[in-house]
Amino acid sequence: MADKTVTVKATRYDPQHDEKPRFQSYEIPFYDESMVVLDALNYIKSHVDGSLSYRWSCRMGICGSCGMMVNGVPKLTCNAFLRDYWPRPVVVEPLNNFPIIRDLVIDMDDFMHKLKAIKPWIIRKQEIPIGAREHRQTNEQIDDFRQFSQCINCMLCYAACPVYGLNNEFLGPAATALARRYNLDSRDEGLKIRLPVVAESEGIWECSFVGECSVVCPKGVDPAKAIQQTKLDTTLRFVLPYGNRE
Amino acid sequence: MPAGWWTRNRHYVNYMLREFSSVPMALWMLWLLVEIQRAGGPASQYRPHGSPAFIAFSVIVLLFSLYHSVTFLSLAGTILHFKVFDRPVPSRLIVLAMFGMWLVASVVVAFVLVWFAR
Repeated sequence: MADKTVTVKATRYDPQHDEKPRFQSYEIPFYDESMVVLDALNYIKSHVDGSLSYRWSCRMGICGSCGMMVNGVPKLTCNAFLRDYWPRPVVVEPLNNFPIIRDLVIDMDDFMHKLKAIKPWIIRKQEIPIGAREHRQTNEQIDDFRQFSQCINCMLCYAACPVYGLNNEFLGPAATALARRYNLDSRDEGLKIRLPVVAESEGIWECSFVGECSVVCPKGVDPAKAIQQTKLDTTLRFVLPYGNRE
Repeated sequence: MPAGWWTRNRHYVNYMLREFSSVPMALWMLWLLVEIQRAGGPASQYRPHGSPAFIAFSVIVLLFSLYHSVTFLSLAGTILHFKVFDRPVPSRLIVLAMFGMWLVASVVVAFVLVWFAR
């Protein structure tokens, strides 16, 4: 077992020296069947090449930091087992559709602006004073938005979305799913504040329902569903009498 | 984005096939408009276009339209959402209802066509 090795081909890019990204191959020991791609990158960083740059944090599929392209598919590298690729080489690239800062690190500013734009928090017209009473919800009311609240902002859905790849003005899957999460929350009163962002032409209407965002989501969120249902709701608000009431 | 992005995986290919299927359907519908215009003349002079090439094209369009309909209606469960007695209607039931309505609409259209063709 100790002699078993795996080849990891990682994207290397230093904007100060490289014209464009290139691949570098590393042969590393594959000593444990439970090794994930992130373990391989950490091994390279610790024992082979300390200059390799990538993001990671929790190592357990919660923080959403370690999203990369693994053999062409957007994956959380902490959740991509080497045994599923071995003996083939594992090709690790930065997430598609984002500018590269260095090696496997992408520039996520665009996503952060979009996330902020949809105001992913509970908006109240009038806050209930702390200690006055609770915001009560039934289980059915929670079920309305529960799956959308599982989003960890890993941006795999953006890397899988060809619409975002072709037009990065598109609000995109995760931001729309989170907007829907709050719009469906019975405690929230911010629908009309979010609508100008969500319902504009570069918002939900840019989506042509490829559906790959939902396929690659590591948390089982269905952003494609959020987008299509928001399209339907927005249309109904527009055409039905009194559709724009609160 | 490289022009061949849609060849990266099967889902992208299926998506492009679904979107592309509208093109042959649109061409066939244009031809239908031409046929309707031709049929507006004296009945004795009208001969429907029935060359082997056109029949082959129609069969291909039929396959594309079936693919488009099946894939589109299968997505209805994702798009539509409503509650009955405060409980959400299951997606599968919505899709089944869509296919049911498709069947009914097809039978009605077929009946009308056969009825007026007699």
